[in-house]
Amino acid sequence: MTGEKIIQTIAAFIHQILGAAGLSGIIFIIDPVLCAVAMFGFISLFVMFLVWMERKVSAHMQSRIGPNRVGIFGLLQTVADAVKLTIKEDVKPIHRDVIPYTIAPILAFVATFAGMVVIPFDKGIVVQDLNIGLLYIIAITSFTVIAILSAGWSSNNKFALLGGFRSAAQIVSYEVPLVLSLVPIIMTTGTLRLGGIVDYQAGHRWFIFSQQAIAFFIFITAATAEANRAPFDIPEAESELIGGFHTEYSGVKFAMFFLGEYIAVIVSSAVAVTVFLGGWLPLPFLGFLHLPGFVWFMAKLIFVIYLIMAFRWTFPRLRVDQLMDFGWKVLIPIAILNVLATGFVILLLEGGV
Amino acid sequence: MGAIFQYFKNILVGFWNLILGLSVTTKYFLSMKTNTQQYPEEKLPLPARSRSMIKLIYDGDKDQFNCVACMMCAKACPNSCIKLEGVRDAGGKRRMTTFKLDFSTCIFCGYCVEACGFDALTFVSEEYENSVYKRGSLLQDEQAMKWVRPAHLAPKPEEPAKVETSAPAAAGA
Amino acid sequence: MTDLLLSQIKGGNESQFGTDEYVVNLGPQHPATHGVLRLVVKMDGETVKETIPVLGYLHRSIEKICENRTYPQCITYTDRVDYVSAMSVNLAFALATERLMGLEPPPRAQWLRMVFVELQRIASHLLWMGAFAGDIGALTPFLYGLRERERILDLFEMTCGQRLTYNYIRIGGVMIDILPEFVPKCRAFLDYFEPKIAEYEELLTYNPIFLERTRGVGLISPEMGINNGVCGPSLRGSGVACDVRKQQPYLYYDQVKFTECLEPGGDCWSRYRVRMREIRESVSLVRQCLDRLEPGPIETKLPPILKAPPASEIYSRIESSRGEMGIYLVGDGTAKPYKAKFRCASFSNTYVLDQLTRGWKLADIMAVLGSLDMIVPEVDR
Repeated sequence: MTGEKIIQTIAAFIHQILGAAGLSGIIFIIDPVLCAVAMFGFISLFVMFLVWMERKVSAHMQSRIGPNRVGIFGLLQTVADAVKLTIKEDVKPIHRDVIPYTIAPILAFVATFAGMVVIPFDKGIVVQDLNIGLLYIIAITSFTVIAILSAGWSSNNKFALLGGFRSAAQIVSYEVPLVLSLVPIIMTTGTLRLGGIVDYQAGHRWFIFSQQAIAFFIFITAATAEANRAPFDIPEAESELIGGFHTEYSGVKFAMFFLGEYIAVIVSSAVAVTVFLGGWLPLPFLGFLHLPGFVWFMAKLIFVIYLIMAFRWTFPRLRVDQLMDFGWKVLIPIAILNVLATGFVILLLEGGV
Repeated sequence: MGAIFQYFKNILVGFWNLILGLSVTTKYFLSMKTNTQQYPEEKLPLPARSRSMIKLIYDGDKDQFNCVACMMCAKACPNSCIKLEGVRDAGGKRRMTTFKLDFSTCIFCGYCVEACGFDALTFVSEEYENSVYKRGSLLQDEQAMKWVRPAHLAPKPEEPAKVETSAPAAAGA
Repeated sequence: MTDLLLSQIKGGNESQFGTDEYVVNLGPQHPATHGVLRLVVKMDGETVKETIPVLGYLHRSIEKICENRTYPQCITYTDRVDYVSAMSVNLAFALATERLMGLEPPPRAQWLRMVFVELQRIASHLLWMGAFAGDIGALTPFLYGLRERERILDLFEMTCGQRLTYNYIRIGGVMIDILPEFVPKCRAFLDYFEPKIAEYEELLTYNPIFLERTRGVGLISPEMGINNGVCGPSLRGSGVACDVRKQQPYLYYDQVKFTECLEPGGDCWSRYRVRMREIRESVSLVRQCLDRLEPGPIETKLPPILKAPPASEIYSRIESSRGEMGIYLVGDGTAKPYKAKFRCASFSNTYVLDQLTRGWKLADIMAVLGSLDMIVPEVDR
């Protein structure tokens, strides 16, 4: 029962029902909408799971237990947190700029969530396997900068503005190594379609083993910086005194920002899994288990997310200027060298692309 | 040339140290051992010498408190938490009538217990859940502080001439 | 925001944007674990112009209270002067009183005191390591440090009954003898703990992010340190030999082998290294003292009421976990001190904070503050 078969069965079933109801004309609308709704539901559940996982991972790294009272193993803890955030009072500064203030959290959430549209969970399980998948993801996730700048500006708070500026500078400068580390992959596979990249890895070794281990680490580092997570979370951490961009937000709006951060982590990890770790392909020596590709994808995704969480709880924070130094003076040169080296190898081995 | 070599060497060395750091936390994560004592369900016993709660010893056989109101504890207390009164009874012996200890100012230093020469005050290590709802309940009188020593905690007779210790009341505290 | 734009339109004063100073209040309630210290920081953009510490939020007038308590009762207040490292302050006051009155505790008491003070030094440095790493941003070493500290506090609780305010080291000796199972448990703890120090160093010492945050930050040159009253591990991080245990040995520190940990760097990283090395030295010291414990009395014979000689005074100092802790006692022939002054290391270390942070960024203030190991109850008493 591969993923493709499951999706085809469900799709055929739904088309049957719609046909019987005489609505087959709108199938072309219903299909993507249902896919999007399914993806939304799945991601919401997954984010709740991730919040719990972060607390448990950090707890066990610190020799403590973490949530274990609300539900078995504390699994319902996120539900409790979500309920708490929704019933909180929505405190708004009086002299805020209303439209950017309201749009910022929504944009932060939507921009990152829209990136999930092209992630292939299994051979057929993807909302839309765009031909320009990678480019689409990188472009869409850049919208978070607008969200952060709007949040900082509209809060009418000098410190929130400063925090917003710093955050935006950080995100923009780490976009460059993010993209540069993906360029060798595109050069090698010749396609931007994520499904195509996974297919290439099915024929050859996974990229992390064959040639692009450096690119993997650059990508993961840049992805952590994109999500404003430690060790790059100076805008968040010093927010006690200088104020991050989300100081003036409370309740659900605050929750949207953090949901956005977690979804950014998911999207980046999913891209890393797809591009470097072989997506839904089974581990080479464990192929005999015949597990569906979806299970392999989720396992790898959780592994990469664990890595990102381990970064947060193990490493100290970088100061803002050191962070920019690191991005511009270390990551970008290495990424450029990687591109050059890959180019040479392709030229030598295959006599040109 | 040397600067370029140094640059790459720094990156590699830094990368290796980051991996070392990750290995430490991953090791603890995978071991899944926790140091948490889940308090209300798991109550570990405190050591015998814990300075938990001060109690007035009530002698079940003689049906009276051991305290003779010698006032040594009240003088020893740095915060003057102890107020007590005594009378001489018919046989000429002093006995305590009221004993008040204000636990809101008590710092549990143990001077009163050490000063008592009549085995009347002691720390009871099992009683450490002493939160109250009203601050006034922290001013305890002798009835609230009454404690009968269980048989297995009776003080042992003095051990003969071991140079080990000259500490007062080492046993039974 | 509009005045920023207006000043740009008007042409600005010094810089193109006409920025002016603003004042940030790192308030008494800290996210970092330093207690109630208030720092008023004048900043220009990101850079710190001046740091003004506002002290006194934890002032409890302990010195004044001690004027109305007998010498043994004062020991209970010394626990609260530096509650992170209470045994040291107990010892400081007990030594001062003994020197004032000419008392000599028996040998077993001296060895026991050394064991407990060195264990306390380990516990205090572990808490410092956790707090320092937490300020820099690594939140995990705090939990690791506390985990080991709990075991030391278990050892203390087994002996004297308390985990924080011990009231154990008394005038003339110690309060009560150790239980027979103390020595094997202590050795088992030391054997368990020594490899853990290597683990913490693996986690932090050469971590490139940690190095970036602490190398070169908060440079105290030897002259600057001596002129500004820095003492203890903070001064040893600049290469100045200032350990009271070596200069004026008290207890039996002249009979045991230990090295004074000096590091030439003078920055936050050197001070971190000094303290980690001191943890190792203390482990070896505890082992040596446990080996030299012999049976004997633990308290010397004291008169029923301890009276100081009339018109006497003494200044007695020890090396506590944070630096030189000095007690100045004036006796007037009664059972209560005429004056008791606590000279605390953290208070004199605070002065150098302003000079160290000028021209640096706000994040560096946290690093420097953490590396100086300031404990606010000691500052305010």
